[in-house]
This record gives sequence, C-alpha cells and structure tokens, in this order.
Amino acid sequence: MKEILSIQGLSKSYKNVRAIRNLDLKITEGEAYGILGPNGSGKTTTLSIVTGIIRQDSGFFKWFSEEPKASQRRSIGSLIETPHFYPYLNLEKNLRIICDIKGMPYGDIGRVLETSHLAERKRSRYSTLSLGMKQRLGVAAALLGDPKVLVLDEPTNGLDPEGISEVREIVLQQVHLGKTLILASHILSEVEKICSHVAILKKGELLADGPVKELLAEDEIIEISCDNNEALRQKLMGSSLVKEVETENGLLVLTLNEKVMPAEVNAFAFTNKLVIHHMLSRKRSLESQFLELVKEE
Amino acid sequence: MRRLLHIEQVKLLNYNPFRITLGIYFLAFSLGLFIYPAIDKEIPVISLSDLFRFPDVWLFLTWITEPYNILLALIIIMITTKEFNNHTFKTQIIFGLSRTELLLQKLLLVVVLSLFATLLLGITSLTLGLIYSYKLTFKIAMENTWILGRYLVSSFAYMSMGLLVALLIKNTALSLLTFLAMRVFVDPVLFLILREQEVRWYLPMRTTTQLTPVPNLIEIFERKINSAESIDESALDILPEGLPAWLNIMLVLLYTSLAIWFSHLLMQRRRFT
Repeated sequence: MKEILSIQGLSKSYKNVRAIRNLDLKITEGEAYGILGPNGSGKTTTLSIVTGIIRQDSGFFKWFSEEPKASQRRSIGSLIETPHFYPYLNLEKNLRIICDIKGMPYGDIGRVLETSHLAERKRSRYSTLSLGMKQRLGVAAALLGDPKVLVLDEPTNGLDPEGISEVREIVLQQVHLGKTLILASHILSEVEKICSHVAILKKGELLADGPVKELLAEDEIIEISCDNNEALRQKLMGSSLVKEVETENGLLVLTLNEKVMPAEVNAFAFTNKLVIHHMLSRKRSLESQFLELVKEE
Repeated sequence: MRRLLHIEQVKLLNYNPFRITLGIYFLAFSLGLFIYPAIDKEIPVISLSDLFRFPDVWLFLTWITEPYNILLALIIIMITTKEFNNHTFKTQIIFGLSRTELLLQKLLLVVVLSLFATLLLGITSLTLGLIYSYKLTFKIAMENTWILGRYLVSSFAYMSMGLLVALLIKNTALSLLTFLAMRVFVDPVLFLILREQEVRWYLPMRTTTQLTPVPNLIEIFERKINSAESIDESALDILPEGLPAWLNIMLVLLYTSLAIWFSHLLMQRRRFT
C-alpha cells in the first residue's frame, strides 16, 4: 500500500501552550483515518501544519513519500476548521478561484455544488449563506477535482442534524470510492461510523492508534442482582466468565470476557445455588470508553 | 504568472471598495484635464495653461499627481489586509498556492497598477500638451518624457511600502493609518527635525517624493513674462535641493527591495489560521 502521509516527531507550541508534542502518524492509501481527541488536543494544529497554513517548530512530514510542496496540495481536498471564502463573491466565483489555484477547468463546479445541495444558491454571495451552508460549501470545495485524498477537520461542525447526516453521507461515499480520508473529530461516533483507523490525541500527544475495531472494541456489560450479591461476586471473580466485577447501587456490574453470553452467567449462578432476580444488558457506550482512554495519564 | 494574475483579477473586479477607490483615482486624474484649465481664467498675467504646454506639462502633471500614488498604496493595503480578515490567504494555501506565490500575486498587482498609473499620466499629459501647446514639434513634445520612468518607480515604491505595512500589521484600519501617518506626518516632521542635516534626504518616504520634484515654476513663468531682469532664484531659496537624481533613484530602489524582502520574510513566517 502506498504511503499517503507520514508525520515524524512533529511539535508545535503557541506562546505558553504546547499544541502538539513529538507526534508520529502514518496514513496509507485507501485508509479512512480518524484523528480523535477532545477540544485542544492538537487535531487542528496537526492538520494545519500538513496543509501548510502554519509552520511546525520541529519534526517533519511527507506527502506521498515526498518533501512537502505547495503543488501536492492541489491533489488534496482540504477543509480546515471553518471554511473561508471571499464574502462578496458568489459561490460559483469562489469555486472558480479554487479551480484556478488547482489549475483545473471549471467543469467540476456544477457537480460539487449538486453534491452539497447548493446548486440553487450558486449565484448567491458567500456572505448570504447560513453557517451550515458555508460548511457545506467548504466540503464542496474539498471535493473539487475529485481529489484522491481528503483532509477534513470537523466537517460537521455547526450543522443541524440533517446537515450532519448529509455531510457524513458524502464523506462515506468518498470512503467507499476508495479515497484516502483524514478526518479530525471530537465526536467518537462520527469516527466510529466513518473511519477504519484511528489515532487518539490528548494534549498534543498520541495516546493510541490502530484499527478502529481493535481500539474501540466494545465490551459486553451486564448488571445483575441476587439475594446475596457478595457471595455471587466472590464466585464470579473465581470464574473465567468475567473480566471485572463492580458494585454499583446494590447491583453487580460485570464486564464479560469475550464470547461469554449472559445466559452462561445465569446458569453459573444457578449451579451455585444463587438465583438472579435482575439481569440487564448494558452496552458500555463508546463515548465513556473514549473518555476513559483520554482521562488516563 | 498569468494564473496568479487571473485569480487576483476575479477577486478585485468584483470587490466594491477596489472599484470605488479606483474610480476616485480616475476622478482625481480627470481634475487635471478639466478642472485646472477651468480655474485658469481667475488668475491674471500668469496663466496656468502655460504649465500644460510641452515640454513642461510632463513635469508639472507628474508633480501634482504624485500624491495620487498614495491612493494606489491604500488600495494595496486594503486588499492585502482583507485577505487576512477573510482568512482567504489560508484558503489559497490549503488548495495549493505557496507562500511565495501569495506574495508574487500581490507584487504582480503592484506592477500592473504602476504601469496603469504611468500610462494614465502619459495619456493625460499628452492630451493636455496637445491642447495647450502653440509650437508643436515632436522633439519639444517628447522632451521630459523621462519623468514617466521616475513616476513608474515612484508608484511601485509606494505600493511596495503599502504591501509591507499591510503584511506587518494585518489590520485594515491600523495599516491605512500607519501608512498615511508615515507619509503626511512622520516624514515631514522628521524632515523638519533634521533640517540641518544631510541625512534628511535619505528618509525612505522623502526619497520617494523626491523622485518627482517640484518643477521650476519660476523659470516657466519667466519664459512667458519674458522680463528683462531675471529673478534671482537663489535669493528666493527655491533652488532644487536634495540628492543627485541617480543617487535618489538608487536609494528608492534599495528601499523598495528591502520592503519586498521583508514582505517575503513575513509571508514565510506568518500563521494563516
């Protein structure tokens, strides 16, 4: 697989804040790569550096295994934070400027405006658009020229629920077409729905990276209760059924080992002469798992 | 090059403040064509129309239209700081322009506007000269046209300085104010403070205004009045002062190169978020 972007030892500080610290990332062709982290974790700084808008303090990065050059960015579609266009120009003219920068004909403008549902507004000035429309125009601009690589920084920011699902649909479509996607987001479900790989950032440092399935694996969690919770807890701890047992509001909360079914827990309790009178499956939300990952120092 | 200019053209021709300022610039120029000859009738003996004859018209119009270059510099400041305000430098970078190309884009515009200004001055001077001259020979008409070259350098220098101020300050109002203050306040005051010293002629703004010096009006009117006693110019203290022309031009070119070099350094280091 061809290497699209590799980042090595990248660091950047703003006055007193260290935005990113010694960051390493590698993204290969065809990956949908999510960069996940809470606000201020360095996602935008990272993407701003690789798209040339800010300079790193140290470290380096390569696009397509080559030293970074402005011309490489012409084959990348980017949306960094909020889109910015000339407020007094209409949408078509704004996109024409981008075509000129990329050195491509204007023929693709109609298609991307159609994709982002802005075709009717193509003669409107950019300043007259709503926030959500501006964001969609940003996505449209990124799609101009059908680039092989998309760099999107929080593309659903400021959109209403309908807009969010529309933009996600567009992005997913690109992923299915085999495009390489680099997506920064603080919304876990977004990364989970779209991405195949993920890097988790916290305070500018890489906490973990790898395939989404491995990193964000879901554990089966159930809560149970019987007449003698303490006895059941002891028994379960000694068994191979559970990873963890916690007591919560008079209930036992079990994290099951892989491939263990709740019915097996019930059977286990029964053979130990304990009758479970409450059992509820509680899927541990990814969100809390993500928060946990980020919380750890 | 053409690609960069084309991008700039799309941006500017649709930008109202640019169109309006350029309109004002045109109006100011047409003052020379219509208004000055009209007020002529008010003044006896000395006729302003003498100034519109070849070959004096070249020097005179260059001198009176020199301040219009300030307007051109203001245009450059306005459109450059607007790119910061609208964050459109950022957009242009992420879609594939280099930082050098961003600067080149503005410098190309500076070149185009200086050529345009010089052409406009040339056409205006030629028109007025043709209207007001009695004796018309090609030689007389073309005398003094060298001043157009200086005017070109002057416009280019003004706009380059404007560009540097805009890249340095980024804020539209503050940049405009700084540039105007430099031209109408800082430079004259420094010039006064340093009135005894030779160094006053080396001030950047002063060298630029000295490119298009005050024409020798006394001499022009003398020729007209044809008085027997010529006026002692040294007594009137209006003898052309300053550096030799070649040194002055070299200094302007040096300052302009420095301004462009600093602009380049700023452009390479700026954060365009």
